[in-house]
Amino acid sequence: MSSFSQKATARTPEILLDADAGTLVLSGESYPEDVTAFYNTLSDAIIAFFDSSESAFDVSIKLTYFNSSSARSLMELLDLLDNAAGQGRQVSVQWYCDAEDDITREFAQDISSDVTNVTVTICDLEMPDAS
Amino acid sequence: MDFARFNQLSHLLLNDEFVLSYSGYVSEDILKAVGDTLRERLTSHVDNSNQIRNIFSIFVELMQNIIRYGDDGPQPAMKDSMQKPSFGIVLVSQSKGHLSVMAGNYVTDDEAEMLMGRINALATSSDEELRQMYRDKLREPVEATSKGASLGLIEIARRASLPLTCEAIKDSSGHNLFMIKATV
Repeated sequence: MSSFSQKATARTPEILLDADAGTLVLSGESYPEDVTAFYNTLSDAIIAFFDSSESAFDVSIKLTYFNSSSARSLMELLDLLDNAAGQGRQVSVQWYCDAEDDITREFAQDISSDVTNVTVTICDLEMPDAS
Repeated sequence: MDFARFNQLSHLLLNDEFVLSYSGYVSEDILKAVGDTLRERLTSHVDNSNQIRNIFSIFVELMQNIIRYGDDGPQPAMKDSMQKPSFGIVLVSQSKGHLSVMAGNYVTDDEAEMLMGRINALATSSDEELRQMYRDKLREPVEATSKGASLGLIEIARRASLPLTCEAIKDSSGHNLFMIKATV
């Protein structure tokens, strides 16, 4: 099976892809020095999972902060998931936003309404203290 | 620099309640280091976590704009001349409950004109228009000339609570200092 994990750094989120459970959790902050490299690693891991498994895929996005370059990559990530769902894969996305962060919530709403096969559920993120 | 000029600089910088200022070479490493310090100082200065998030976000986008855009300033070239030097100044200050981020860097005449046009357009847009612009920009292919900056500028305008302001001033040696201010 093709599980994948990568620890968080100060500027990149943790990636936890559990192939057995069919889950992906992306958590932390995202303003990578090389945004393309980071998100290519992530999409490669997802594609490897899709190639090796037929099971449903449950994605949780728990980003406390991401910059505008990451926003574009997150949109592309959602497109990748949407394409897989369009080909018959069962995919669900939970997008966690801080209740006070209207801009991020609006972003999640806007890119969700651009996809047709994946349902994105927007949830409240519990903020860790003093971070 | 002699003490007289240093004294003038100190008076300018220590006059108001400054949270942080940085000037000089800007790189991704410096963005990280100054950003960490900024966050620490904001956390001890400011109670509103949303205000901290917005200021930090604006700071990151402005620093990345300095790294991506820019022209040679009056500073000497870097030893490692393969890389274009990115010099700039950034200043986060606090006044009457508002926090503002100002950033300045040297740009070409064309860049100055393009940036002023873009920022003035953003400054006169409503929140809903900015949201739509951001949405449209996300779906556009990244233009070779913009290097992704315009999405960053829209992000700054959305996170600011007052309209963005900017100015470009040419010094006697012909270098164009482009300055932008965002207030939360």
